Amino acid sequence: MKSFEFFEPTTLAEASSLFAQKHAQLLAGGTDLVIGMKAYTETPETVISLQKIPGLDGITTDNDKSISIGAMTKVRQVELSEDIQQYHTALAEGASEIGSIQIRNLATIGGNIAHASPAADTVAGLLVADAQVDIASADGERSVPINELFTGPGQTVLKPGEIITQFRLLHPASGSHYIKHKIREVMDLAFIGVASAVNMQNGVIKEARIGLAAVAPTPIRATEAENLLSGKTPTPELLAQAGEAAAAATSPISDLRCSAEHRKEMVDVLTRRTLQNALDRV
Amino acid sequence: MSDYSVVGKKLPRVDAVEKVTGAAQYGADVHPAGMLYGKIVRSKHAHAKILSIDTSEAEKLPGVRAIITQDDVPSGRRVFATDKVLYLGEPLAAVAATDADVAEEAAELIKIEYEVLPVVQDVMESIKSSAPRLHGDETKDGPNRRDINAKIKELSSDQEDDNSDTIRKLKAELEQYSDEVYYNISAETHNEAGDVEKGFAESDVVVEDTYVIPRVHQTYMEPHVSVASADSSGKITVWASTQGPFAIRSGIAGTLGIPLTQINVIGTTMGGGFGGRFGVIITHVPAVLLSQKSGRPVRVQMTREEEFLDGRPAPGCVIKIKTGATKDGHILARQALAFWDSGSVSGASIGSTIRVRGVYKIPNIKIDAYGVHTNKSGTAAYRAPGAPQAIFAGESQLDDIAEQIGMDPVKFRLMNMREEGDAVPAGGSEPKVGYKETLEAVADAAGWWDREADDNQGWGVAIGDWTNGCGPGGVYVSVHEDGSARIFHGSMDITGTDTAITQIIAEILTVPYENVTIRRGDTDSAPYSTGSGGSVVTFTMGNTAKLAAEDARRRILELAAERLNTNEDNLELKDGAVHIVTADPPKSISLGELAAYSLSTTGGPIVGKGSFARQPSTPALAAQIAKVEVDPDTGRTRVLKLVASQDVGFAINPMAVEGQIEGGTVQGYAWAMMEEMQYGDNGNINPGFVDYRVPTSADLPTVESVIVEVPAPNGPYGAKGVGEPPITPTLATMANAVKDAVGIRVTELPIKPEKVVEALKNNGHGA
Repeated sequence: MKSFEFFEPTTLAEASSLFAQKHAQLLAGGTDLVIGMKAYTETPETVISLQKIPGLDGITTDNDKSISIGAMTKVRQVELSEDIQQYHTALAEGASEIGSIQIRNLATIGGNIAHASPAADTVAGLLVADAQVDIASADGERSVPINELFTGPGQTVLKPGEIITQFRLLHPASGSHYIKHKIREVMDLAFIGVASAVNMQNGVIKEARIGLAAVAPTPIRATEAENLLSGKTPTPELLAQAGEAAAAATSPISDLRCSAEHRKEMVDVLTRRTLQNALDRV
Repeated sequence: MSDYSVVGKKLPRVDAVEKVTGAAQYGADVHPAGMLYGKIVRSKHAHAKILSIDTSEAEKLPGVRAIITQDDVPSGRRVFATDKVLYLGEPLAAVAATDADVAEEAAELIKIEYEVLPVVQDVMESIKSSAPRLHGDETKDGPNRRDINAKIKELSSDQEDDNSDTIRKLKAELEQYSDEVYYNISAETHNEAGDVEKGFAESDVVVEDTYVIPRVHQTYMEPHVSVASADSSGKITVWASTQGPFAIRSGIAGTLGIPLTQINVIGTTMGGGFGGRFGVIITHVPAVLLSQKSGRPVRVQMTREEEFLDGRPAPGCVIKIKTGATKDGHILARQALAFWDSGSVSGASIGSTIRVRGVYKIPNIKIDAYGVHTNKSGTAAYRAPGAPQAIFAGESQLDDIAEQIGMDPVKFRLMNMREEGDAVPAGGSEPKVGYKETLEAVADAAGWWDREADDNQGWGVAIGDWTNGCGPGGVYVSVHEDGSARIFHGSMDITGTDTAITQIIAEILTVPYENVTIRRGDTDSAPYSTGSGGSVVTFTMGNTAKLAAEDARRRILELAAERLNTNEDNLELKDGAVHIVTADPPKSISLGELAAYSLSTTGGPIVGKGSFARQPSTPALAAQIAKVEVDPDTGRTRVLKLVASQDVGFAINPMAVEGQIEGGTVQGYAWAMMEEMQYGDNGNINPGFVDYRVPTSADLPTVESVIVEVPAPNGPYGAKGVGEPPITPTLATMANAVKDAVGIRVTELPIKPEKVVEALKNNGHGA
């Protein structure tokens, strides 16, 4: 590990101004950053811990069932939160897929998202929750929808000094499901990740949201597939059409894990499957 | 067998407490005063000429104490590459510095100029004339050319002229096989018995396929590490994480031209070996050279990435295999042509190709096997080296034959098995081995005969054979004044072998198990011991321990006879004391009293010595059955049941034996389903546990172990080596279960979801 300067600010403002410097990295849970530093793939000159800043963690549910998740909330807490399990099952399932329990007890949801891996396990669940991402900096605060946060692998719209503070989940789903395609049962990275969420009204799909991970340079929503479903009565044929539309929306790569073709096919299969399971959970 | 009081019992391991508490000292725990940190500088290319190595910048870095290249190897034996590198990660130099980060930085500062050469990593490409030559231009003939050339040679030596037409024809025929001129061959081996062509002609069913098995890593938990310290007198001490300290001693001596006994190797607790921990040059030699140059102790420890780049994994191979059988189920012929990926050096386990024969009566057999150079690191042993690969091909194909002739796969195997007294191809006759007992035991335990399967579920069976090795060893045992016994020896504990040795000595001396302790010496102090690999330890050291304990018992009875004024014939050693059998009232003397008494006798203290080298071993069989469920849409396979039986001869410690069966089976499962070293344009691309997947406990159910005991004539209490056999059948077991579940024959491992989906599509699924 290269030597670096370490700060533990106690306010967001202080953290933000430190973070605005060149070659600075934020330390949340450390489960990505520290490994990268040990492998010399991350060589920050300054490391700023967010752990001493109060108020950045915790899950709160309002009367209207909207949920706020602090960026420093441990992934394990997201996984085990009863409200998230109930209203955003796909997100709780995604959280449960990250690493081991030891890792999940350290890793934060903010870190999982800010790292901007297209394969992050919480991202598909946040996409189908239509989460708002609250961001703070020395210049003030702003908020972006999760599907506008990412610009490329490891890239986000975050500007120097900007720090994610919380995720607001304003649209509970009556049924949702996340499937991670992988080889190993646990502690694997997503070959692809698919989440679907539905809200029903009188037997008709009122709205459907489909989030896809590891099938494009950024995590994406399959909006054409969503539009196909909205206002329709669910049938196997309809879900098959949605699966095809979702697959068409992807632009996966071939790599050592699997081929682009396999990823596309699995989006089709797992979109159908997650939609069906989401519908079953309503 | 139930007469024994210590052997045959599930006793806790002698090293359980030190392992569980973390007290055990591994290589990385060794930290002599003044120790430096070594780092090996590695090639960034899979194949390149080395134009220059410039260490000048690195030398200027504060904290750097020594930098070595091949110029610093006085013997000239190749430790570092000089003119050319043959694989990504090949060592070019090494650095020792005052801390690990400085060593790392210095390694980066060493400037190496390369001229990149074309790379070949696939054996089937490497044998072609179009492939870059790794070592030279020598070629070898393939099987048909060999046969024709042999005929030509035979005829040419004949004096009769009328052979010339035939020779001309044969030479023309030779031309047809021009693609059988193989390049980059590192070794070859050929076996033949009977006449395979005749066998195939007489067969009703002939199946031919090509199987591809990937290179896999032993993935021991502890990476290679050694700490070397050369003192001013030239004495060298090496703390080595190794399976064979004595082999490391002679290896270092031979490589560096140092007198053997000027080197002391201290084996540190081993964090897994599986055959991959015998390498001398990987870390030990660089550590010694760095210590000699710096005058300080030096630790060289590999990272996990370095393990993948420059460990010595198990070779992958391509096996073309053909089997013929009659429709009533007799196997008549089997032929195999194998290309083993030996990497940059020779040494892949090509001889194991013969394992395609299995334990079957196959009258006609022909094996041609080649080791092929590729731009990869060399290979080494991995748990029954070569057998899982060959048996995967053989046992997969056997199921296809059984299916074609409509026979149950277990019955088909049972009817073709060799039996006691059958002639063995290598000579002699088949000993009594529990082949049938083992397969029947697993079939019964798994519920094979009334098996059920829902949609997409299937059952697979396979068997694998292996024979433990044997080697020299020495053991001392002393009995102390408190009646306890202490064992002294020099073999590395591998998965409970110290426990087995302790149980054997406790049994014979009748000392309570917990009062027998075992100490391992270093190569300076302990008697020679063979390396802990090849399933040898319990067989070899068990026999040695038995001899030592019997020697001690002789002295004990001698002392007791003297002390009790009686004849040895009247004495019995039992429950930690010597008793006069005939005395009334009973008369006895404890081992402690005898040990105390011995100190003032002419004959001296109770010390038993055992020394042993060789006895013939007996084959062992492992048989396994899996039930799986395949998701035809995603291609993912879930194991529902995995049952493994094994003829272990006699289980000295059944708990440890079950552990071996479970461990080997899981490693076989991993090779079948997920493990694979992958190669891109320039060497290994998955050098870490993110993309080289080893299974976790969530991936499969508890392996159900079934111990079968058909004693081995020369094993201690009938024991056979148990470590290696259980990995041998699992690859085929899994593939056969997948075939049964969804009808696809996977010939290329691992059985990844994508491959299953593709194969199912080709079979019409989802169309």
